[in-house]
Amino acid sequence: MNDVIITAIQQTLIEGNVETAETAARAALEAGVDAQTILNEGLMRGADIVGQQFEAGEVFLPQLMFTARALKAAMAIITPELKRLSAESGISSSKGRVVLATIQSDIHDIGKNIVSTMLTTGGFEVIDLGVDVPIKRIISTALDEGADIIGCSAMLTTSMPFMSDLIKTLEAMGQRERFKVMIGGASVTPAYAERIGADGTAANAVQALQLARQFMQNALA
Amino acid sequence: MDYLEIIDRSDSGEYISEENWDLEKVAMTCMRLVSQYDLKWDRQNLVPDDPALADRVFAAGLALAVEIGAYNRSSERILRFERDELESALRDMKQTLSMGQGADERVLFARQIEDSRPPLVWAGNPGAPHPEALFLPAVVSWAQEPIVDLITCGTLAEVDGREVRTGEALEITATRRELTYLHQALAHVGRPGMGMLAAQSSVSELGDLAAANPDYLRTCDAHLVPMLNELKIDNRNIARAVNSIEYGMRNGGLYCAISGGLGGDAPGCALISVASMILGLLTNRADYHILHPIHIRHVATSTREVLWVESVVLQAFARNAPAIIVTDVYPKSGALTRELLYETAANALAITVSGGHLEGCGSADGLVPHATGLEPRLMGEVGHAACRQGVTRAQANQWILQLMEKYEHVFRMPEGNPGARFDQAYDLETLQPLPEWTRMYEEVKTELKEMGLDLSG
Repeated sequence: MNDVIITAIQQTLIEGNVETAETAARAALEAGVDAQTILNEGLMRGADIVGQQFEAGEVFLPQLMFTARALKAAMAIITPELKRLSAESGISSSKGRVVLATIQSDIHDIGKNIVSTMLTTGGFEVIDLGVDVPIKRIISTALDEGADIIGCSAMLTTSMPFMSDLIKTLEAMGQRERFKVMIGGASVTPAYAERIGADGTAANAVQALQLARQFMQNALA
Repeated sequence: MDYLEIIDRSDSGEYISEENWDLEKVAMTCMRLVSQYDLKWDRQNLVPDDPALADRVFAAGLALAVEIGAYNRSSERILRFERDELESALRDMKQTLSMGQGADERVLFARQIEDSRPPLVWAGNPGAPHPEALFLPAVVSWAQEPIVDLITCGTLAEVDGREVRTGEALEITATRRELTYLHQALAHVGRPGMGMLAAQSSVSELGDLAAANPDYLRTCDAHLVPMLNELKIDNRNIARAVNSIEYGMRNGGLYCAISGGLGGDAPGCALISVASMILGLLTNRADYHILHPIHIRHVATSTREVLWVESVVLQAFARNAPAIIVTDVYPKSGALTRELLYETAANALAITVSGGHLEGCGSADGLVPHATGLEPRLMGEVGHAACRQGVTRAQANQWILQLMEKYEHVFRMPEGNPGARFDQAYDLETLQPLPEWTRMYEEVKTELKEMGLDLSG
């Protein structure tokens, strides 16, 4: 019975349908399926399938975004139960919290949006601040929200220095060790990331998700 | 409709969040229109000879523009336009546009499909960051080519050893210095009146304002006003457009719809491109269009998807609303690679027979200073030969497929195929290609001739 319910949840994610995702999540809870199982085997698995299809070029950006939207809607249904379980066990269901932004002076956001969607479908809580975000706001949000990771993107070469400024500011504030900093963008290379003291970079959204997971695993180790 | 009306509508239009614009308006409407207008593409037919398809792409693009309009990201408002307002803008669209001055003046014109009039060749790699020491020699390398009609350039990422930051003081310095180097380059090659698309080092309005001066950007030159992905403008770019209008300069409307992005696959990208160009007449105050679709994964314009989009969009306009469309050539590969030359030739063939002018090359995706004067030379030679020879779309498609066999592997290379920096491909003293680069160029030209392209002219 649970298998049928879980498969149905996966399917709603693959279809990216908000209403059916909410209905399926609600029905699963009512049927007594564990919220953690709904999350890991239903929602995350469904989102993962779409993420793989996107990476293979079998589906396109809208499908990925619709899946992320359905995931958020279904998460809202099961979150109270997840919180209750989390309080009981002391284990969080979140994979980690990421503050994401296109850095100050740059307004290009497609790449950042894809990363945001992939991280969301990968189970991360993403606080997406949008484009042209001043570094002070990125840092204050990360501190206020208790973020694990700060992610910044820049497509323009002349915006990249602001990513270096962000890291220097964290250092000056004595807050550098609180966050992992990942950077990305068309002109960002691993050598550049290393030079400015970032913790890593990714060439695409799939790699960004892998990098974020790696950060969190290392933090737990 | 003047720009004051655009500003008014930016402030008074319907509110919508950007996420809902992207999904509910752009993605959903594109999905429906692609199906409704039966827009399909064929990976083996990248330069389709299918007038009905071109007409449907145009009709679908116009329908998209009428149905959803454009989005002002600054005010989070929708700019709506009535069908007759858009059709009026299309009717009033410039059919010729003078660029440059004196003996070096060239006139852009609305080309037709399989037009016997050769495309204008606009050489350079907009957006590619350059160290200051390489900027002038790189520009000279393409300005000196006799086949080149107009020039453009990359950006100065540093001046006097300092990083340039958008919106800060050095953006002004970098933009003015870029223009100084461009004028030096034109003087050096004896073509001081050549028209330019420039101030590429200006990202914010700071650089634009600093460059609007006859010693830098002249009124016979142009500057980019981009439409943001997808179908978006913002107040800063409206300000850039207005600056050009008030100064009397040309606005190049830049449209970089993403294949695999919000519109979905290539057909959705094509209809967003058409809608962008129609709306850009009003929102971007475009005097001419720069068509530059992007592949979501590979970026390059030499991918199958983007070649098809460029061809079908050019044909859609040529048949339904003839327009001046300069079409970008941004190959995956960089200097000192044969693949760069194959990609350039394929792109030039598709654009020329479909009705566009040629701009490039943004070699190595325009991410590094790996472009030289040799590939725009080939780009122009291929474009001129195709017109001289009367190459058809079917013939161009056949040759492009042959060329793709020689370069398509670059899209499977994890690090791309960036090739070499400008100074490793050209002699900085003579500003001529090094022997190895010349040899590759001659060998590729021989291959193109053997394929059937008459490059003897």
